[in-house]
Amino acid sequence: MKYAQKMLEEVGIEGDRLKMYNIGASDAPLFAQAANEMTERAREFGPNPLKKGKR
Amino acid sequence: MIVGERKPFAEITELIKDSKKVLILGCGTCVSVCMAGGMKEVSILASQLRMDSGIQDKGMEFGEDTIQRQCDREYIEPIIELAKSHDVVVSMACGAGVQLLSDMLVPTPVLPAVNTSFIGICEEEGTWLERCRGCGNCLLGETGGICPVARCAKNLFNGPCGGSVNGICEVSPNTPCAWQLVYDRLKALDKLETLEEIQPIRDWSPSSNGIPRGVFREDMAGIGKESESASE
Repeated sequence: MKYAQKMLEEVGIEGDRLKMYNIGASDAPLFAQAANEMTERAREFGPNPLKKGKR
Repeated sequence: MIVGERKPFAEITELIKDSKKVLILGCGTCVSVCMAGGMKEVSILASQLRMDSGIQDKGMEFGEDTIQRQCDREYIEPIIELAKSHDVVVSMACGAGVQLLSDMLVPTPVLPAVNTSFIGICEEEGTWLERCRGCGNCLLGETGGICPVARCAKNLFNGPCGGSVNGICEVSPNTPCAWQLVYDRLKALDKLETLEEIQPIRDWSPSSNGIPRGVFREDMAGIGKESESASE
C-alpha cells in the first residue's frame, strides 16, 4: 500500500487518496465508517486532478 | 542475477519530455526477478506516465511490452517493428539490454529507466546484496565460497586487515568482515588448513581494465548458420 501511495505521489496525486481497509463481511458499521472517512478525505483533497472538467 | 533499481520518476519524465509516442519495454530475466524492470514494473511505470501525461495535458501515448531477454538478439527481433512505430523506447533492462536494444533499433532512440546496480543475490524479501564483481578469475574454491573481491572492502586475499572487529568490517557497521566469513565457512567445512596457503600476487588481467571484455569460443562460432544450412 505504501508503495502504491508513493507511486501516486510521484505523479502529483495525494497518496492518501488510496487506502486499504480490512473489514469483515459482518462489520457493516466499520464499512460505513471507512466509506465516510474516504469521502471526507476526498472532499478535503478536492477533485481528482486526472478528471479535469468532468465533474 | 544482475540487480537494478528503477530510476526516479522525475528523471524518466525528463528523458522522454520531447516524445509523444513511447514504448515501455521490460525484460523478463534478471530485472524481472529483482522487481525493477519486468512486466509488472512496466505496467506500473506506464500507469504513472499516463497519469502524469493526463494531469499535465502532455498528450502522450504509452505502449507496453516485455520480452524474455533484452541481451539476446533473437528476443529483440520480433519486436523491432513495434518498437520502430514509437518515437522512443524506454528500456527497463540492465545496461547490457539497453545497449543491444539501442544497436538494433537505430534510428529509434532507446532510453534507460533502470540503474544497473550489481551482480548479486536476493538475501530476503526487499533486500538484494552484491556478491560478484565479474573479475574473470574466480577464487571461490579457495575461500569457502565467500568472495573477497566483492565482499572485502580492501580486496584482500590472505586474511583480514586490522579493521576487522568482532566480525564486522571497519568500513560499515552493517557489513560483515568477508575474511571472518571465510574463516567461519572453512571451519564449518573442516578446511581451515586452506588458510595456510599464501595466495600469490593476483593476476588481474582478466578483470575489467577499461577495455570491454569478451568471451570467444571457436566451437560455438557460426553454429547457428551451420544448423540453418543443414535444414535447407
